Amino acid sequence: MLPTFNLTNELVLLERISTRNGKAGSGDVVILQSPENPRKLVTKRIIGMEGDKITYIVDPKNSDRTETVIVPKGHVWVQGDNIYNSYDSRNFGPVPYGLLKGKIWPSSAFGSIGKRPETVDPALKVLEQTNQS
Amino acid sequence: MRTTSFIWDVCKSSFTFGLIGLTVSDRFASVVHVQGLSMSPTFNPPNNSSLGLLTVNGPSTDDHVMVEKRCLTDYKFSHGDVIVFSSPRNYKEKQIKRITGLAGDWISVPFSYDAVRIPEGHCWVEGDNPTDSLDSRSFGPIPLGLIRGRVTHILWPPQRVQKVDRKLPRSGLTF
Repeated sequence: MLPTFNLTNELVLLERISTRNGKAGSGDVVILQSPENPRKLVTKRIIGMEGDKITYIVDPKNSDRTETVIVPKGHVWVQGDNIYNSYDSRNFGPVPYGLLKGKIWPSSAFGSIGKRPETVDPALKVLEQTNQS
Repeated sequence: MRTTSFIWDVCKSSFTFGLIGLTVSDRFASVVHVQGLSMSPTFNPPNNSSLGLLTVNGPSTDDHVMVEKRCLTDYKFSHGDVIVFSSPRNYKEKQIKRITGLAGDWISVPFSYDAVRIPEGHCWVEGDNPTDSLDSRSFGPIPLGLIRGRVTHILWPPQRVQKVDRKLPRSGLTF
């Protein structure tokens, strides 16, 4: 989740009510149970909610090949901010909303959490615009 | 003054008991009302009603079961466990089904020669009444993280109080 969070351990506030009420949405950083190991909690950002069309780079270190999926009902698409080194929905697919456990809060008060930082790959900026259009 | 201190005592007791009840139902066990016929005849067996072919289970005869939550600390489930889980299609709905496959098992897809391997951290759930059950045959294997508890006993109606046993699956390929 670089550069949003540092490599050294960071302490953040986790808010558990939004995910219970269904208020977590695109752009939020959330904590979820890993679909491959229910005892492991991972931190990722929600990229798309159900019904969204997601275009993602499958393997950014090696190629530019992209794939497009539509997020099924009741699921969300999560990705780490550091797509070069993140094991996320590009590997394990969309996750059911019921696995989300909490949202990092507040989303806008902390300088580094919130919208994606501007210092990103220009290729990713194109993807972001494609997702929003 | 005595009335206000009495009201204050009532408030304190209800808050305490409410908190204890919430903790117990969240961490140890709770009671769940079973609706629908997907687990017939294990839960909500058909009545011998005078309507003939139409068997109806109303709210007065639905089963209420005890769901234990201690299994959620290490997620060790076995084939045949009856579990409560959040539906992968709608996290607000809770469903009750039986686990018929665990990670690493191969499940045969109906009407085809394919077999699907259940991925790590997932399980395959099916209702005991296959004709009336929306389960993994429609939405695929579910992550274990969606499980909210395991059913241990039927608590209501009184004539059906019994322990819910593990039943091994009768069909499907399990290697």
